[in-house]
Amino acid sequence: MYQYIIRRTLVFIPMLFALTVIVFTLALLAPGDAFTGKSLADPNVDPEVYERQREEAGLNDAIPVQYGRWISNVAQGDFGKSLVFNGRSVSELIEARLANTLYLGLFSLFITLVVSIPIGIYSAKHPYSLLDYGATGFGFLGLAIPNFFFGLIAIYVLAIQLDWFPAQGTLDEPGMTGIEALKSRLHHMVLPGITLGLAGTATYMRYMRSEVLDVLGSDYIRTARAKGMSDRNVLYKHTLRNALIPIITLMGFEIGMLLSGAVITEQVFNYPGLGTLFLSSVVNRDFPVVMAIAMLLGILILVGNLLADIFYSIIDPRIRYD
Amino acid sequence: MIKRFRLGLLLFVLLFSFAFLLTACSEDTTSNDNGTDTNQNENEGENEGNNEEEEEEEPADEGPQMGGTITGAMDTAPSGVFNPIFYEEAYEANILDFTHEGLVGQNDKLEFVEGLATDWEINDDQTEITLTLKDGVKWHDGEPFTAEDVVFTYQSIASPGYIEAGGVRSTYANKLVGYEAFESGETEEFEGVVAEDELTVTFKFKEPNVTILKDVGFPIIPKHVFEGIPIEEVPEHEATLDPGKVIGTGPFKFTEMLEREQYVLEKHADYWQGEPYLDKIVWRVVEQSVMLGLLEKGEIDFISDPNGVPPADYEDVAAMDHVEIIEQTDFGYQLMGFKMNHRTAADVESGTLNPDNWVENEDMGEKLVRQAMAYAVDRKTIVEKLLLGHGAVINAPIAQQFWAYDESAVTDYSFDPDKSAELLDEAGYVDEDGDGFRETPDGEEWVVNLNYPTGNKLRERVAPILAEFFEDVGIKMDLRQPKEMSAYVKELTEDSTDWDLYLLGWSLGSGDPDPSGLWTIEAGYNFSRWNNPDSDQLIADAMKAPEAFDQSYREEKYSEWQSLFSDDLPALLLFAQNKIYAHNKNLNGIDPLPYSMNNDPHLWWLSQE
Repeated sequence: MYQYIIRRTLVFIPMLFALTVIVFTLALLAPGDAFTGKSLADPNVDPEVYERQREEAGLNDAIPVQYGRWISNVAQGDFGKSLVFNGRSVSELIEARLANTLYLGLFSLFITLVVSIPIGIYSAKHPYSLLDYGATGFGFLGLAIPNFFFGLIAIYVLAIQLDWFPAQGTLDEPGMTGIEALKSRLHHMVLPGITLGLAGTATYMRYMRSEVLDVLGSDYIRTARAKGMSDRNVLYKHTLRNALIPIITLMGFEIGMLLSGAVITEQVFNYPGLGTLFLSSVVNRDFPVVMAIAMLLGILILVGNLLADIFYSIIDPRIRYD
Repeated sequence: MIKRFRLGLLLFVLLFSFAFLLTACSEDTTSNDNGTDTNQNENEGENEGNNEEEEEEEPADEGPQMGGTITGAMDTAPSGVFNPIFYEEAYEANILDFTHEGLVGQNDKLEFVEGLATDWEINDDQTEITLTLKDGVKWHDGEPFTAEDVVFTYQSIASPGYIEAGGVRSTYANKLVGYEAFESGETEEFEGVVAEDELTVTFKFKEPNVTILKDVGFPIIPKHVFEGIPIEEVPEHEATLDPGKVIGTGPFKFTEMLEREQYVLEKHADYWQGEPYLDKIVWRVVEQSVMLGLLEKGEIDFISDPNGVPPADYEDVAAMDHVEIIEQTDFGYQLMGFKMNHRTAADVESGTLNPDNWVENEDMGEKLVRQAMAYAVDRKTIVEKLLLGHGAVINAPIAQQFWAYDESAVTDYSFDPDKSAELLDEAGYVDEDGDGFRETPDGEEWVVNLNYPTGNKLRERVAPILAEFFEDVGIKMDLRQPKEMSAYVKELTEDSTDWDLYLLGWSLGSGDPDPSGLWTIEAGYNFSRWNNPDSDQLIADAMKAPEAFDQSYREEKYSEWQSLFSDDLPALLLFAQNKIYAHNKNLNGIDPLPYSMNNDPHLWWLSQE
């Protein structure tokens, strides 16, 4: 097992390296750079000024030269400075948002699991019941509604009309600390969390339902029943563990997706996270930031998949890695 | 067994931690009012609900009241560089306008008025200006403001490495004596700005300077804070980035922030123009689509620069009883440019702007064609339908608010398809093969391409409308896919391509109407590659000492130039959009300048019960 983990981790390194080469090349091949975007903001600024800054930032060098410079800095733990946020350090920019994104991602994943798994199981145990139809209906709806639309409706009804939740941001006011800050943070997370988790909930629920139905019909369950095992035991000891395997696969991918896929939700709720930073950096050609986030996401997706593999072996003892 | 235990433990930990999260979030009653607990207006909540009746009853002569917090909304967060010498965006200006000040300011007629300087004297050939500074001005940290701060600010902008560190304001310093020597590091001494004594400062310019007051108006930063910090470290210094550390002389101090969400400005009680009435001004970053809802609910009190209220939302805001709207002309315009010339690939490669090498773009280089295309567009209807009337049709690229703008001097291209067709016929562009589209004078197929960027929604919607207008007069159009801004600007700048028409918007400065940065032949932003020596001559004349010291002389020259521009027509100006500001009626004392609502915020006050 440990050997397996070490081996997988070692495989990461060339994969990450390939990832950086590809993303770096693509990022720099995109037409325009950070200064072309800026240059129209103020006609009083002489274009010559941007040309000097471009030279200073080394954007006029050949791509391999720039890559060499970048990778050697990264090897020393320096992700460089943002070109768009006027020289602010990349790690500082990401740090601030990574926490927000992680909180929101975990929160929405939690909501997703807590809602979808029980409903999925119930639907499978009582197929074609009222709740099952309800859940199916909700599932289709959840997948069909675009995130931003659901978010706006939620803001309009729950935040503006009913005033139950705050509409924007992550905290009530700056300078909050301790338990008060935690409460405020959670309060702000409810609407974006639900919005972000909606589609996931629907997917997981449907997976759970069909998997449980599938497993319930299999031979070993019949055997377990025949031995006189109680319904509860059959469900929790045998059915659930087998039915969870596809969910875990999904979750492994989801860890990366939760960080990068929240762009729209973050925007609607003005929730400053990595997604919006990533998008705006791509649009503004802020390649030091793009590279840092791409690497971060790459690592997270790889780690997510590794975790999924490890979970398999915990849940299903038949799966062994050596 | 061990495996199962591990799974159980994992689930347990997960569940426990999330259960904790859930209970904690069920009982939060904060309603996100404007952080009133520390202020006197505890009943602001009701105040907003029924203030419309009160507004009527309240006698207007009741003087300003002290105290209160107001909340403004902007749709995008500032980058976070709160230093006048390094900031680049209008969003940061929304903070810096409250915290920093220059020696001179502008009034509602765009005349220069006293700021931190009370008085000034300009020598006869306008190469030197000596300003007397206001006595008793204190920085936010209590230190006195002196002439040394002024010298330090201009030295910083002129210092070697300033541009490389990301600064873009060198235009304020590069006309001063000794700029080149100082900037290149040849000398440690900058002769351009000299402190005569504590409160007197002299600026020395290399040449007679027509816009001398504009050039001395840059916001001043404190020497005692930044002294000794190498210029390349200033953008990352805490005095640039962190609330509480950003020090200016303005009526409000930047004290707290929740990055990309909230920015808190607290009053500077020792402000030299008197203590501000408001305790706090909070900027919140709010998604555009949610802004109106929050304004209606009273969670935000005003929407101002840089984007204001979109024209499409005007009616909704007007329908809110507790909100007042201020609408004024903006300092910018959208244009459709004609690529009159292209550069050669070699010139693009080497970054050369040499008109002698330019290659004429055959059809767009033809003045009659440009004029014909101008007549083909119904700009009035575009303003009415697309901007819902919140804008104006202009024919000269000078902001309407300036003394230099002269509507009477320009050719008025009002919608006239017949005239358009006539001009095209005259230029030899006639439909000979009867397919409904005109051919070039050589009888070849004629297709005009129209390029435009994404980003500005109104502009994106204008492009297909323009194409339709042109097809109506028989011009075959190739409406290209819109490009994302960075890519678009690259192609626009490196113009060795086949572009004919391009769409673009400019936001102009309020300091001076001089159009040389955008329209002179060798200006980088002259994307039309308009090559007209007469235009350059007029622009230069309007800035030439000593005649140009007389404003009426400049007015005359600009009038001639506008006439020339609209006749030669390197670009058709599509419209100038209005700025629409909105604020809660209980917020008083708002007196916007032509270019910004952030004016005299120390006089803003909140009606309270």
